[in-house]
Amino acid sequence: MTIRISRAIAAAIVLTLCVAVAESAPERSAQPAGDLDRAQAAFEAGRYTEALSLARRAANTAPTSVRALTGQAGMAEFMGEFDEARTFYDRAAALAPDDAELIARTASFSVRVGEYDRALAQLDRLLALHPSHVRWLFQWAPTYMQPALLRDHPSLEQIVQVKLDILTEKGDLAHARQLARSYAIVKPGENYCGEAQAKSRAGAERDETFKAFRLATLGQPEAADCIWWYGQWLSDEGYVRLGRLMVIEGTRVTPSATNKESGARYLKIRLGGNREVPKRAEQLFLIARQRYLRDGDIDGATKLFDESIRLAPAFARPYNYRAAIAADLGDREAALAWLQRAAQADPDSWRTHRNLGKLLADLERYPEAEMHLRKTVQLFGDDAGGRLALARVLYAQGKYDDFVREAKAAVAFLANWNAPVPAVRDFLAKFDRWGPGVSLPPAPDPRIIIGWNYD
Amino acid sequence: MTDRVGAVLMLSAMLVLASTPSAAETYRWVDEQGNVNYSDRPPQPREIRTPTQEAKPALDPRTPDSKAQEVKAPEVKAPAPKMPEVKAPKVAEATTPDLKPLDVTRPELKTQPESKGNDAHSPPRARDAKATIPPHPLPKSGPTKIDELLELSGARAQLVGLVARVAADLRPAPGQMSAAEMATIDRILAQSLRHETVYGAVRDAFLPQVDRLSLETTAAWLRTPVGHKIIALEIASSQPGAEQKVAEYTAVVKANPPSARRLELLQRLDWVTGANETSADLVAAIARGLSTAVSAAGPPESRLRPGQIEDRAAQVRARANETLREVRTMSMLYTYQTLEDDELSEYVRFSGTDAGRWYNRAMRKALVGSIGKAVEQTVTELVRAVPLDRWARAAMPAPQPVK
Repeated sequence: MTIRISRAIAAAIVLTLCVAVAESAPERSAQPAGDLDRAQAAFEAGRYTEALSLARRAANTAPTSVRALTGQAGMAEFMGEFDEARTFYDRAAALAPDDAELIARTASFSVRVGEYDRALAQLDRLLALHPSHVRWLFQWAPTYMQPALLRDHPSLEQIVQVKLDILTEKGDLAHARQLARSYAIVKPGENYCGEAQAKSRAGAERDETFKAFRLATLGQPEAADCIWWYGQWLSDEGYVRLGRLMVIEGTRVTPSATNKESGARYLKIRLGGNREVPKRAEQLFLIARQRYLRDGDIDGATKLFDESIRLAPAFARPYNYRAAIAADLGDREAALAWLQRAAQADPDSWRTHRNLGKLLADLERYPEAEMHLRKTVQLFGDDAGGRLALARVLYAQGKYDDFVREAKAAVAFLANWNAPVPAVRDFLAKFDRWGPGVSLPPAPDPRIIIGWNYD
Repeated sequence: MTDRVGAVLMLSAMLVLASTPSAAETYRWVDEQGNVNYSDRPPQPREIRTPTQEAKPALDPRTPDSKAQEVKAPEVKAPAPKMPEVKAPKVAEATTPDLKPLDVTRPELKTQPESKGNDAHSPPRARDAKATIPPHPLPKSGPTKIDELLELSGARAQLVGLVARVAADLRPAPGQMSAAEMATIDRILAQSLRHETVYGAVRDAFLPQVDRLSLETTAAWLRTPVGHKIIALEIASSQPGAEQKVAEYTAVVKANPPSARRLELLQRLDWVTGANETSADLVAAIARGLSTAVSAAGPPESRLRPGQIEDRAAQVRARANETLREVRTMSMLYTYQTLEDDELSEYVRFSGTDAGRWYNRAMRKALVGSIGKAVEQTVTELVRAVPLDRWARAAMPAPQPVK
């Protein structure tokens, strides 16, 4: 066997290193005076842990400053330190009970942690801050007058939007739609679904597209495709609770039996079926994921994932991320243990079986890997990447006929999605010609099923 | 970009600019314990048992070193590797990165008798092939030792060139560091990338994978005349300076294109040995080791996460695979130019047997893991001894005169 590495490759290595290190480095910025301003600067520069630390110091230095207390509360909320956020929102509210902006933020925070009744009480308080005639108009004026009223009083618009969120999250979609119509958030006869799809096709800003599909869900109860799309988007983003409700609604509305079946499967393999996930656990998971993936804050993320698991033991996603962290740190046995716990928590979690199969394959525990990868493609037959991983494991065990069948099925499926996998085709051709070689077949993971990679 | 990042960038640039390895000779000697040693330095007096120093391993008279083949040829340039365009996801998925190679348990001893008569000239499906008794096994009594196998296979000798190449790539170009720093760097490179040390690591990693029957079958084949001849050619082409000779050989190939059968045999050899894949794995392992060490030496806020390092290693591997594929065929044509087709067929046949596949798989795993660790340890020591910012300053280009 010959061993070769060329200087060109050595150059490629270091060039890649350059990119890697450059991408990982935070930018320096001027440091303004004052902890709160510096906290803001750190936040804007993406140094979130530092921002929280500075915000804490600012609040500690000025314990009667509403701005400082709110700053710490906001940063703590952003970082998933919900108890700390609650404490400092409350302290700020005690100092400024009539601060409309603070009340709105506190109501939004209450929704974030699933304290809906508390949020509603805060919205009532926010409404009460308005003059009586404004309150009267807000409650009794006809729909055609509401847009102007909401425009002139943005806090009223906030009240409506937060209420819509609460009603939707509580599953009372009918009431939410009625509320949206009564405040002219949506209007009859408008094609919101068409507009949302057009924005999506045109590659509009993410938030803009998201809002458009939300409007479609509120304004066109019959638009099954858009409701389904909205649900899948929410799932991708990690909002599994609302995502589940929307997928259920889209599945209910669709006349297609195939789509109904697809929706039921989606709920089962991606959203945990009927397993309830408390809002706080979901939000902790979302923030933990950001701290891990965006910030590389492994300690902070670990703490939040663990808390999420404690609150929602049947929620498979945080287990998978704990496994990813363990694998990142080089502890594959711990990663395996986390994934096995995930499989126990939710035996129908497609992503868990996929990760388990791939990890076991890395560990060269091929029979177990095969079992989990077979389960993966059984749960989700369109998972071509999973099928290629299965094919590789079959090959490693000398199950060549099975390998060929699975690999060819994946290649054919991907061809329909205009996602050729030339390396796999090349390997298959050589295998057909010369029989097994010493290398295992490539198992690329084409991301043709948008969103499913985010679980 | 921060100064700290700049330092790392400059370190990387220095590595790119590292001087070409000198055409080091390979020495072979037997020490007082009777162990065969290979090194890129002459044996020290007390290390030698018998005066068997060889400037190079004995080669077949028709090796690629033949003067008649030293035709000046246009330089072969691999095309710039193209990165596949990947749409970045909003967040990364919870995948499991490739991690360090694991020690595996010893495979079960194969008891199935091996079939005979698999014609290497018409092997429609090697999957049907079983290991056959080598045509002319040399007599050997007693079990073959691991060291003996690794010497027979040329792995031990080839490792000299590989380690020398890695060390040369890590060494700054002359004039970029002070004399004291260069002395420190040279000392670290000499200590951390000693051939004997890396070889020991490879051997230790190979050991848990040993399958006795496959080992003996492989050793027996390697002792055959054709096996011996092939290994000598591979060792010769692993010597420093071989790349230039391959480039020169391109002109020979253009003038006398190889036969279709020859090309088919070489492609099949690459397939059954996984040589190209092994090289790509090696490059990825080096990238991983380098990334890990440099990242750890930097300030905490600029460190790469392990997952990021794995991603980078995977990207480097993909690019290396493509680049190596381009040069692989020419390199093989050069290496085996003096082999007859029948001899090459015999090599392909053996490599496709259970024993041949076992050896290549086990060696790949041992080599990749050991080299990666050696690079990580070496670079860790290098950046500890000579800080990153010093590498950066040393690599700054000299001011250009203003016109």
